[in-house]
Amino acid sequence: MPHTLEKQRHILDFTLASLLRRKGKNGALFTVYTLIVFILASVMFFTYALKEEASLVLKGAPEIIVQRTLQGRYAPIPVEYGVKIRGIRGVMGVRPRVWGYYYDPVFLANYTIMAPEGVNLPPGSIALGSGISRMRRAYQGDTISFTGADGKARNFTIARILPEESQLLSADLILMAEGEYREFSGLPPGLASDLTLKVKNPKELATVAEKIVKILPDSRPIIRNEILRTYDALFSWRGGLLIIIMSAALLAFVIFAWDKASGLSAEEKKEIGILKAVGWESSDILFMKFWEGLVISLTSFLAGTILAYFHVFLTSASLFAPVLKGWSVLYPQFQLTPFINPGQIATLFFLTVVPYTVTTIIPSWRAATIDPDSVLRS
Amino acid sequence: MIKVTNISKLYNAGRPNEFIAVRDVTLTVSLGEVTVLKGPSGSGKTTLLGILGCMVRPSSGRISLGDREITSLPERFLTQIRRETFGFIFQQFNLIKGLTALENVMIPAYPTGERYAPLRRRALEILELFNMSHKAAAKVEWLSGGEAQRVAIARALINNPTIIIADEPTAHLDTKLSHEFMVIVRQLREGGKTILIASHDPIVYDSELMTSRIELRDGRVINDGSRS
Repeated sequence: MPHTLEKQRHILDFTLASLLRRKGKNGALFTVYTLIVFILASVMFFTYALKEEASLVLKGAPEIIVQRTLQGRYAPIPVEYGVKIRGIRGVMGVRPRVWGYYYDPVFLANYTIMAPEGVNLPPGSIALGSGISRMRRAYQGDTISFTGADGKARNFTIARILPEESQLLSADLILMAEGEYREFSGLPPGLASDLTLKVKNPKELATVAEKIVKILPDSRPIIRNEILRTYDALFSWRGGLLIIIMSAALLAFVIFAWDKASGLSAEEKKEIGILKAVGWESSDILFMKFWEGLVISLTSFLAGTILAYFHVFLTSASLFAPVLKGWSVLYPQFQLTPFINPGQIATLFFLTVVPYTVTTIIPSWRAATIDPDSVLRS
Repeated sequence: MIKVTNISKLYNAGRPNEFIAVRDVTLTVSLGEVTVLKGPSGSGKTTLLGILGCMVRPSSGRISLGDREITSLPERFLTQIRRETFGFIFQQFNLIKGLTALENVMIPAYPTGERYAPLRRRALEILELFNMSHKAAAKVEWLSGGEAQRVAIARALINNPTIIIADEPTAHLDTKLSHEFMVIVRQLREGGKTILIASHDPIVYDSELMTSRIELRDGRVINDGSRS
């Protein structure tokens, strides 16, 4: 065994020296390979971290939201529905929520306006999400104007900017007192945007939802897990979409790798001939090619993965954020918490290192079977 | 002893460029001898040298090494025999560029799995034999023709082979360096090595060191073993 290990060490030493001797070819291969791993790893890290982030944020979300539908579409819900729902066994509490969207035609962006219960804002004041603040260059103490449902512009004083930590959800958020919001949006008293429910036993969520629909046929209960599933599907879909687009790049890489690995230069062929002539077996040459492939693929894999980590978790995936986060004008600026799934790393490994190794097996075999007497005849 | 019987070598069989490099050659090389294969270019010297050195498989005929028939041995065993029994000195030296002289000398020993430290020490000792230890760390492309050849000879000796095979060893050397090469051949002979050289250089085949001269023309032996 020590003999075999020593032999492999010698072959590895020789391989490393060979790689360094062909800096141009191997450097190009390493760069392209690293880039591919970087792209794939960035998409994977980002999608996974975003899903984790969203699920963490939604942990604090209400267990059931009840909306009303009219003609199959969303409509404001009468607050008195809450009384009927409160009567269902297992429902601990019902709260109406008042909120809506506002389209800013100047910046072509949608904002979310909420009027939470007990919000502490002086009359005529609002709290502004950091995304809107950044875009409209409006800061604490400034006055900002929005057009109400009646077409009249209203001025609001910015009482505060919402904290950066909650950017995923609050970048496009405006907080307003309920009375002011009703007046601004035209939402009549007695109606709310939706109702939030607190349910005692999480196992009863589906039953409670069923009962709500039975009592109030025009209602639409949404369970938190359904939202989580939607987020999951949405981000997986976007990630998948990007990977499909990138698969063209992956294919190009496989062709490139094949070309680089199979296109043995005359000098390389001669060297293999020399090695075989002086006593290297075909298996030794195969081992050499195996080490060569492993060194290139592993270093590229590690470099690509580390770069992707920095890209996603330190620069907030600046390159792919527009595709992966959404199509909004207001991209939240936030740093994702590093969530890495070992399964993903394994997938990435099999998506990159294994195809490369398989691609280079046949050319390696061809190289290994070069006749030793080619050296004599050259 | 290497014995070849009715050896022929056909290249590109069945194709328009088919040619016979060696035709029906029978000869014996005894241990301890210095044998030269002489003849013009294309006479089959290099091919015959390759067959004797287990590097080229004959198309027909038999080869024996000592008492062992090796004609039909699988590639793996032939490689092992080549590594353990023969040391090769090529016409173009065939050193691997980008590596140092020392690394080049060590290369044939890598598959043996010998530990690095003693292997390195041995390689340095062999380089020292040819006054080349001061160039051990130099890349081979920086060496002169004579120095490169001495590195090639050191490489041929690293696995302590019984037989040294040299193909046109003086083809790229001037007269002075060719004579220096013959001095090394003498050292090797005195060290008990069997030496087989293919050459059409009079400095080599007329040397009094040659114990056997085999003349080839058109792939056939026309004059076998004029012993000196």
